[in-house]
Amino acid sequence: MTVGPLTVTDLVVEFVHDGYAIRPLDGLSFEAQAGELVVLLGPSGCGKTTLLSCLGGILTPTSGTIRLGEVDVTAMRGKQLDAYRRDDIGFVFQAFNLIPSLTARENIAVPLTLTGHDRKASFARADELLEQVGLAERAHHLPSKLSGGQMQRVAVARGLGHNPPLLLADEPTANLDHIQAEAIIRLLQSLRDDGRMIVVSTHDARLVPIADRIVQMVPPDQHEERPTHDVTFGAGESIFEQGDPADLVYVIKSGDVEVIRVLADGGEELLTKLGPDQYFGELGPFLGFPRSASVRAHSDVVLTAYSPRVFREKVLHKT
Amino acid sequence: MILLTFRDLVYRKTRFIVVTILAAVVFALLFVMTGLVNQFNLEPAEAVDQFGADAWVLPEGVSAPFTSVSVMPAAALDTVDAPTKAPVVITRSSVAQGDLPEEVVLIGFESDGLGAPQVVEGRVPAAEGEVALDRTLDIGVGEDVTVAGTPFTVVGLTEATTVLAGIPFAYLRLPEAQMLAFTSTDVISSVLVAGAVGSLPGGLVSLTSDNVVSQTLQPLEGAIASIDLVRVLLWIVAAIIVGAVVYLSALDRQRDFAVLKAVGASNGSLLGSLALQAVLIALGAVALAAIIQIFLAPQFPLPVTVPTGAFWQLPLLAVVMALAAGAIGMRKVLRSDPSQAFAGAA
Repeated sequence: MTVGPLTVTDLVVEFVHDGYAIRPLDGLSFEAQAGELVVLLGPSGCGKTTLLSCLGGILTPTSGTIRLGEVDVTAMRGKQLDAYRRDDIGFVFQAFNLIPSLTARENIAVPLTLTGHDRKASFARADELLEQVGLAERAHHLPSKLSGGQMQRVAVARGLGHNPPLLLADEPTANLDHIQAEAIIRLLQSLRDDGRMIVVSTHDARLVPIADRIVQMVPPDQHEERPTHDVTFGAGESIFEQGDPADLVYVIKSGDVEVIRVLADGGEELLTKLGPDQYFGELGPFLGFPRSASVRAHSDVVLTAYSPRVFREKVLHKT
Repeated sequence: MILLTFRDLVYRKTRFIVVTILAAVVFALLFVMTGLVNQFNLEPAEAVDQFGADAWVLPEGVSAPFTSVSVMPAAALDTVDAPTKAPVVITRSSVAQGDLPEEVVLIGFESDGLGAPQVVEGRVPAAEGEVALDRTLDIGVGEDVTVAGTPFTVVGLTEATTVLAGIPFAYLRLPEAQMLAFTSTDVISSVLVAGAVGSLPGGLVSLTSDNVVSQTLQPLEGAIASIDLVRVLLWIVAAIIVGAVVYLSALDRQRDFAVLKAVGASNGSLLGSLALQAVLIALGAVALAAIIQIFLAPQFPLPVTVPTGAFWQLPLLAVVMALAAGAIGMRKVLRSDPSQAFAGAA
């Protein structure tokens, strides 16, 4: 079951949405070893699920590489990816995603039979896993008769059906109260101790203390306390580009700027023009999102750059 | 795959039961329509067969004895060169018991000759004032009726002696039929011949029994074509019902399919599950329809004879139809993206 290291290098995923390109992952790199519990930490929309999809061979990245041991996952296509998912990857989906018509036992066994495993052996494996996750007595219950925590444990057991070396779990403690979440955390710990690599996406800080490795999906806020300062840009000069990490908020002292959306085909769409005393770029730093548009100086401009906290206190609260 | 299919059928049982019943009603109508068309095709063949003739001699220009008025001199019988022959009268008339006359085809036959009725109850009319009737008139042996206003007693009953979608035969001895039809014993409608017809005088033609059958069927061709059209429409309705439920099922299970794809299940196994569901619904509906038609067929005013072949052809066609109708739903499975499994709660 033990697998070689997981190496993610310069991973980029770009989607086209409503005509413009967005990059939930932009040059991500990290490494993890077998037997580690890796926590992908970040707010909603920061690309955690996209990364899990790439790791699981469900989504092909725009560029960059993912290697699991000697295997280049990003070079695989079609049936190779099917086999990779079938043999090497276990999935635990957010919201459990159990099949509502199947009992707990069947939810674990049926995916195994559908991927070519012997029927009898699949059900024996399901019984063994239900025992392991402490749900043997609920084996014949439909998901609708299980609590959230129990459903998540069945989902984990399903992910372990074919004994994969890499288990990918998407928000496994979301929607669970602290008692149920604790049971799942304990379960993940025990699975990690078996030598399995576990990659968990979460924005739940309760998972941080048990993590062997934390991948910050959004760079930590290093600009909170940057001093307020003026900056100048010449006409046509870029102030920031769409997709850049968001750090500062700008208030225009003089001159005009253009807010532009860069389209997927390379074209540009003018969203608005802003002039003196107007501000821009505030949502990205507040929410931890990258810039959603580019801003360019239309004439020579003088801007005051604020950290988000100072901007909130001195500008927003004053108006 | 079988377990997945079966469990889903149980899980959404209300929907599947309703759909199966709906489809079964449609299939039952298809059975009945098939039975009607079959009966239309069988009816003239069975009726003509009972005359025991190989050929029918008719005046030139008469298309067939049951579909046009045929009149020829009784003396023409002697001019027909054939080893066994018999005169016959065929004309439209009515039989009444009480105030409600019913249309019949009056057959005048020569005793012990070709064209004599093959009674299944009672006996062949042998004396004046006796008649044999087809069973569908629902008049028993010994009862009194009037034929074209003249009183008769029913002495025998026949079966499968109707033409033109259920018009029954009434058999009289030849002279009485001649008098009722033509008020003369010098006139007949046709000469029935067993064996080959030799030479014929001018003005007479010979038709084979097969010719008579196909000519008798001709007036019903419009009705048969209309029923065939209804059958096509019923197949379309059945396809829409089965297709819609398979599509809905595919929609409901899109997340399930995404999850199963994400864990490595092949398109084939998932398509198989949906296809099996469509086939089971279709077969269940056909089985139920086979029972419904037993009760439905007698309610039709015309005899309905469902051919045995329909009981295996219909399920076979239903399976093909279900797979075709389910194709849109199955395409949904093919297109379901495993990354949807990562999406939040539905």
